Amino acid sequence: MANEFTILLLIGLPWLGALLVWFTGDSRPRFQHLLAVLFSLAAGAVALSLIPGATDQAVLTLNVGGIFGAFTFVPDGLGVFLAAVATVVGSLAVIFSVEYMKGEAQLGRYYALVLFFIGGMVGLVLSGSLLLMFFFWEITALCSFALIAFNNDDPKAVAGGLKALIITSLGGVGLLIGALVIYGYTGSYEVNDFLAGAAQLPPDVLSLVAFGFLAAAAAKSSQVPFHTWLPGAMEAPTPISALIHAATMVNAGVYLLARFYPAFEGVPGWTTAVVIVGLASACLAALMALVAQDLKRALAYSTISQLGYMVYAVGVGGVFASQFHLLSHAVFKALLFLGAGAVIHSVGTRDMRQMGGLGQKMPFVRNTFIIGALALAGLPILNGFWSKELVLEAGLSGGPGWAFALMVIGAGLTACYTFRMVWLVFFGEPRAHLHAHETGPAMKVSLGLLAFGTLTTWLLVGPFGEMLAETLPHHHLHILDLGELISEILLAPATWLALAVIAIGLAAWWWHERLAAVRDGLGFLARWAEADFGFEWINRQVVRLTRGTAEALTATQTGVLNWNVAGIVGGLVAVLMILLLAWGA
Amino acid sequence: MTDTTLTILIVGLLALMGVGLYGLLAVRNLIKVIVALQILVKGALLALVAAGAASGQVNLGQSLAATVIVADTVVAVVGLALAVQVRRTVGTLDVQALARLKK
Amino acid sequence: MTAFAWLVLVPLLAAPVVYLIGRWGSQSNQPAAARQAGLAALIVAWFPFVLAAQDFTTNGPATLTVGAASLTLDGMGLLLAALALGLGTLVAIYSTEYMAADENQEKFYAMLTLLVGVMIGLGCATDLFNLWVWFEAMAISSYLLVAFYRNISTSLEAGVKYLVQSAVGSVFVLLGIALVLAKTGTLDLAEIRAAAELSPLFLAAGGLFFIGFGVKVALVPMHTWLPDAHSQAPSGISAMLSGVVIEAGLVALLRVLAGLGGLAISWGVVLMLFGALNMTVGNLMALRQKQVKRLLAYSSLSHVGYMLIGLGVSVYAGEAAGAQGGMFHMLNHGMMKGLAFLAAGALLYTLHLSRGSHDPLTVDDLAGASKRYPLVAFALSLAVLALGGLPPLAGFMSKWQIFVAGAQTHNVWIIVLVIYAGLNSVLSLAYYAPLVNVMYRKQPSEAVLAGRMMPTAMLVPVLILIAGVVVLGFWPSLLQWLTGPAGSALLAAFGG
Repeated sequence: MANEFTILLLIGLPWLGALLVWFTGDSRPRFQHLLAVLFSLAAGAVALSLIPGATDQAVLTLNVGGIFGAFTFVPDGLGVFLAAVATVVGSLAVIFSVEYMKGEAQLGRYYALVLFFIGGMVGLVLSGSLLLMFFFWEITALCSFALIAFNNDDPKAVAGGLKALIITSLGGVGLLIGALVIYGYTGSYEVNDFLAGAAQLPPDVLSLVAFGFLAAAAAKSSQVPFHTWLPGAMEAPTPISALIHAATMVNAGVYLLARFYPAFEGVPGWTTAVVIVGLASACLAALMALVAQDLKRALAYSTISQLGYMVYAVGVGGVFASQFHLLSHAVFKALLFLGAGAVIHSVGTRDMRQMGGLGQKMPFVRNTFIIGALALAGLPILNGFWSKELVLEAGLSGGPGWAFALMVIGAGLTACYTFRMVWLVFFGEPRAHLHAHETGPAMKVSLGLLAFGTLTTWLLVGPFGEMLAETLPHHHLHILDLGELISEILLAPATWLALAVIAIGLAAWWWHERLAAVRDGLGFLARWAEADFGFEWINRQVVRLTRGTAEALTATQTGVLNWNVAGIVGGLVAVLMILLLAWGA
Repeated sequence: MTDTTLTILIVGLLALMGVGLYGLLAVRNLIKVIVALQILVKGALLALVAAGAASGQVNLGQSLAATVIVADTVVAVVGLALAVQVRRTVGTLDVQALARLKK
Repeated sequence: MTAFAWLVLVPLLAAPVVYLIGRWGSQSNQPAAARQAGLAALIVAWFPFVLAAQDFTTNGPATLTVGAASLTLDGMGLLLAALALGLGTLVAIYSTEYMAADENQEKFYAMLTLLVGVMIGLGCATDLFNLWVWFEAMAISSYLLVAFYRNISTSLEAGVKYLVQSAVGSVFVLLGIALVLAKTGTLDLAEIRAAAELSPLFLAAGGLFFIGFGVKVALVPMHTWLPDAHSQAPSGISAMLSGVVIEAGLVALLRVLAGLGGLAISWGVVLMLFGALNMTVGNLMALRQKQVKRLLAYSSLSHVGYMLIGLGVSVYAGEAAGAQGGMFHMLNHGMMKGLAFLAAGALLYTLHLSRGSHDPLTVDDLAGASKRYPLVAFALSLAVLALGGLPPLAGFMSKWQIFVAGAQTHNVWIIVLVIYAGLNSVLSLAYYAPLVNVMYRKQPSEAVLAGRMMPTAMLVPVLILIAGVVVLGFWPSLLQWLTGPAGSALLAAFGG
């Protein structure tokens, strides 16, 4: 039942909820919580009801006219699936927030932005028009910025939000220019028209579009070299980190690459570039996660790393594998973030060096967190195992061997940092006097459902693949049903190799005391990883340069009248020179 | 109109405009700046009259010049009124001192 | 008398009447008389506007001839009239509270009404004589409004700079007129176009016009008066200056350039070059700015840059979308910047002016403003985010239209320029976004703690502009009836 009404409802419900929560006012927090939960749940229900009706046809077309074309919405498999992720994880994050944000000021702004984000994310993935896609793309960036900086009194939060906004918008220029050029050459904003007729574009123009979209995707999905904003985004309230910076918005980049893969796969150098971006992100971020001391930052680096796997999968042609891993990751990473949120809410710090031994005080959180962690590490039979193996297998069959080797090593690193994280937080001796307490029911509901999802979503591989294959006419997907998935994964040598490396990774942490010599030998690498491999330095230089130029330019505004008149005379001379030069030429 | 008259007019207007621009660029007293502005406008007036004469549209040139005189007088009056207020509130007519707004 | 004639005449005739009524009111203890008369005059002007607009959509451009002079209401004229009248009315409503405690209100409202009328006339001028007269009248009526606080030294300083620089620009325009007159013997733009040729004289005239009008449009490096004037004027006037007066200057510039036509280099290229320069300088200057109104003034520089790019693309490549986009951005900028100045002004009023202080409103003063003044803080946030080009707000759509026009040319340099403009939008977020952050802090600034109540009359225009900025962000073709003909009028003037 995908008709125009459901589409409008799916975007409209969260946005209406946002308005209502906003207008309710902060004097009635209970009503605000209730409204937010109701509207996000309703949106989730509508999104799930849309799944059986996925289609590759536009079901809602608003003819805006003129250069703006038609605003179309196409609920195909890819779109509907991501809309479901956005709304379902969104409602779980909202439910979690009821407890997490209890007693916080400016709840209206918080929930309004969350709901506005959910609607925007749904719009982004259902857009059939490039204009509309960029429109929602920027809306999600706006919400992300506003929510990271939710606590505006904290300069770190403000800086983090601003950084996220600037870097993602900077990459967004790539999407902007791509969309503009596509319209400029084909006269249509329709994504499906472009996928069908991309070959008609001049090759250099198509390259511009392809690499523009890659830049946009890398910025949005926090990939190297644009990844520096995501760790800073961890200043957001934790449910926001789970929703926006783990399960939904950061996937938009992978979504973009997957969506446009058929158009760009023939562009020279494009798939290699995608593989390199994914590979660099996966491995460098894993190293950074290994040395992070802040629980949320460690998870953020792990998100960058896992998104790197998905980008890599697209680069080697495994679009289905990337989307399957996206689904798994959305579920288990949301679980990990919410679990981390429960811990942080309870103990009041994010520094893992002060935690330790919290497992006994909060067993429910510990158990669910471990489920998520095992999925992240890629251990059977959790959803992360199946999807990560599928990605690696796609890499072995479709990509360069050296890239595959590095990705397998990355899987080992993943296991190592995951184990380290779990250990530092929940096990060992308490390292500080923290007053931990078990979480309340709202948080337990969210964590429990996500843990259940982590155990089971891989069972849906059959219908998931069919839905994608049936509604994406331009993609040639290598889909599997459940039996094929199990047999193919279990019989693939790549799986056993990867499992062995993962086991080594786990062992490396287990015996890390005994491996102290090795660790010290690799100290330079750790220090380099702590310094973000120099990318932060580049960021700072860019900011410094811009500020310096701006500061220097202020000297031109002297405020003295004579000088101002000189500007006019100078302008006259300059224009006359331009005209004379053009005349002479 | 003879070429000689035209040449005299052009030389005259260039001289007036030169003086006016010099005043605007170099003089610090606000009253003098406004006087320089007036001289500049007078140069433009001369140019209009000359242009009208040169193209045979004497009426057009002169009616435009007459309009400019009116508008220009209003500008001068407003400018001088502002100068008076500046002298009263700031205490000086030096345009270098009248540069609190910058950056 | 046609509706068009009344549209021009009503505000012009009303201005002295408003002054006299206000005068009488202040002497006979009726201080509200001036504002009521000013507001009434502008509201009355809406009737001929609606009739003239209807007449325009059915019958096309209307011409009004008085003696030798004639005015033509074409698409550009109608757009400018809509903008001037729309923003003028909102500013009049807004100022009923903002200026309530000030002396000489009769002058304020008379000048405001006059300014609106003069800009309507300017938009319809088709010969150089008329164009100059209206242009000069616009300048004169705005001088007094900029220096309205005549006992405040910074306000006087801004007024003096504005006056002298505008007057110099005006002299350049006169010189250009003299050159054209000497060469062609006519001042009618269509006739000049027919006679235009590639000669040093026409090049010089073109340069003089470009700079002369460019002072009013605040092209870099003639822009130095703008941050002073826009920040020191009463906030309603800041909105008018930024939202309409610059645009009126731009329309005048375009009309004259169209008349000169056929030069060695397309004017489109020059417009685009200045567009890039304006964007860069405006954004960089705003980046380090601590005073809110000054920051908004610099942002106007960069937005003139976007308009110039759209218009330049259309002039260069005959791209209708660029002309429409540029015109659309004029309208949107009027609304967004109008909203920004009115909202910032409302905060300036409650935090400083109403307490008798003429200190500038700084970014730090805004800390925590959202708690005490939620609507105005929201409005200012919305306005600056719209200016930054974020959806779902009006600025996104007009920038998009301009950029698409650039992409449609298939010209590498123009596409590079579009990328550059996109990067500039990102740069502009670096000063718009922190402004929003500051207002939503929980810890209020001292100024906010000491601030007065927000008067209701100021909220009415703010609400109307919020609606406009949001609705256009979702449905950009809503004003197509204005931007379409305006774009065609521009292309027709340059084409042919």
